[in-house]
Amino acid sequence: MSDKPLLEVRDLSTYFYTQDGIVKAVDGVSYAVDRGETIALVGESGCGKTVSALSILRLIPEPPGKIASGEILFDGIDILTLPKDRMLDIRGDRIAMIFQEPLTALNPVLTIGLQITEALERHRNMHGAVALEEAIRLLKIVGIPQPDQRVKDYPHQFSGGMRQRAMIALAISCEPELIIADEPTTVVDVTIQAQLLELIRGITEKLNTALILITHNLGIVARYAHRVYVMYAGHIIEHGSSQDIYHHPCHPYTRGLLASVPRLDEPRKTRLQPIEGQPPDLIQLPPGCAFGPRCPHVIDACRQAVPPMTEVSPGHYAACRLAVPDRKQS
Amino acid sequence: MKNEVIIEIKNLTKYFPLTSGLIRQKKVAELRAVDGVSFAIHRGETLGLVGESGCGKTTLGKCLLQLYRATSGQVLFDGKDLCQLSNKELRPLRRNLQLIFQDPYDSLDPRFTASDIIGEPMRIHNMHRTPAYQKRIDELINIVGLSPYMADRYPHEFSGGQRQRLGIARALALQPGFIVCDEPISALDVSIQAQIINLLDDLREKFGIAYLFISHDLAVVRHISDRVAVMYLGKLMEVADRDSLYESPLHPYTQALLSAVPIPDPTVEKKRNIIILKGEVPSPINPPSGCVFHPRCFKVYEPCPTTVPQLADIGGGHQVACLHYPNSWPKSE
Repeated sequence: MSDKPLLEVRDLSTYFYTQDGIVKAVDGVSYAVDRGETIALVGESGCGKTVSALSILRLIPEPPGKIASGEILFDGIDILTLPKDRMLDIRGDRIAMIFQEPLTALNPVLTIGLQITEALERHRNMHGAVALEEAIRLLKIVGIPQPDQRVKDYPHQFSGGMRQRAMIALAISCEPELIIADEPTTVVDVTIQAQLLELIRGITEKLNTALILITHNLGIVARYAHRVYVMYAGHIIEHGSSQDIYHHPCHPYTRGLLASVPRLDEPRKTRLQPIEGQPPDLIQLPPGCAFGPRCPHVIDACRQAVPPMTEVSPGHYAACRLAVPDRKQS
Repeated sequence: MKNEVIIEIKNLTKYFPLTSGLIRQKKVAELRAVDGVSFAIHRGETLGLVGESGCGKTTLGKCLLQLYRATSGQVLFDGKDLCQLSNKELRPLRRNLQLIFQDPYDSLDPRFTASDIIGEPMRIHNMHRTPAYQKRIDELINIVGLSPYMADRYPHEFSGGQRQRLGIARALALQPGFIVCDEPISALDVSIQAQIINLLDDLREKFGIAYLFISHDLAVVRHISDRVAVMYLGKLMEVADRDSLYESPLHPYTQALLSAVPIPDPTVEKKRNIIILKGEVPSPINPPSGCVFHPRCFKVYEPCPTTVPQLADIGGGHQVACLHYPNSWPKSE
């Protein structure tokens, strides 16, 4: 608490300038991650969770994208003002990324071994046999059988789960201080998902790595995240500890999301409670609160201005006019 | 009671040949997508079919509808074995057997308007020259919760959830008694999924449709199904009533699947024991001997690698294929 966070994102706005208009994919988002902490960015597709994470690595394609405003401080370094080559030193070394779809994220014409040694050469000054040895060791850590053989394989020779393991090996190759995992298990099956997430958890705990977990799966978030940021239409609408978010959700969107998924540990409901309507068009956001048109509790004030973040209890914030500070009810 | 069987499959297998050579293709191996599956679905009942990708769920659904012709086995519908019928003989029966696809983006013709899409099954069955045609389309648009002014729009003008509603309207057009829902919600956003599930629930109630609901989402399957079948590498591991399957899963694979599903509650998650399976799903080209699950099983013992367990009733309609249950041992003849 007392120390400065490892990563601090302040008021970040990332826009995409398209022919149809400006897509405000991320609009005034702030969050922070401490060393060794796991935070989750949760939300539906198009809510800006991936863009906000890609902005940290400055991987937003420009044009059409542009980081319009904001500040990203990583260990005191202002990432957005860094020259390109200094950024290359950080990317892959101190901040690593695990992508959603390993088949498109890995280079199909390079062997797995080469892709890992490439990072080791760039950042760790390891070469030849030493780097290869290290690559094999990393593949072994992530649980790839016969790593000394598989290191020569190409990505297409790996199964989906294996590829994601190789991605994890690549991400941890330089022992980063922060890993960004963008929907790391969306394309794999539930039993493999459990394997991979336990692997990631084990590694982050061992190396004291901070983790930003981007997912739409509320169950995964509950299992792994210390703190949760809920995003909707480019904004963070609620954040707090996972206990706060799951047991005392304040924003109607968070509540709606939690109520709409069936749960295995509860008696079966006869009917699910969906959130009515559709997520808004990011080019033409409704005035005021973006969730207003779908919100069951909407009042006139919601339509006039974007509701400010208010602290409902220590460390628990919600951007809703109806979220009044009060003691947690049990 | 809904005791009348609407569709039954017996010992269904579907092998895909793997060939080599460009001109004279030789069969070099077989992919056993579905391997000896039997079950029955009753009128108005929903059977959930769960399993990991590549386990043969979708192939099984397509075999039921004769979109794939099974390698062997029977599909009994309306007293006829569909596998024996020609395509021409099948056509009138197809009215009763419909499909809702996983991907609402690929499964709608981008050049058709919404009403063209919904009306297509009726045009195929020559029902479009009646005044009832347009009326039926309007009715269907209403049933699935779309607005009448959307009838002339093209698929790209709809959101994912609305497209899935269109796909559902199309499946309903001919008033089928049985619909295969192949992962109907997995392409949709969380907040939209519940809308579609509720719609499917309503339609079943209103029209008494039986569903085969294929999904990998165990929580959703529990919500919508009356009975659930668990599939692994082309075979059924366990079939039971929803409540007995979820409350007392018998097969180690079912137990592992259920424990792997994260529950959206951090307090519950802290206390849970997760069973982590080793390894990955083996290839259906060269499935393991004996019980296909034995290389990953945490309860494996001596007979598993050599003896193939049979799906057998161990009481109360709870069927399981695991050698830990005496009934699953193959009967010596």
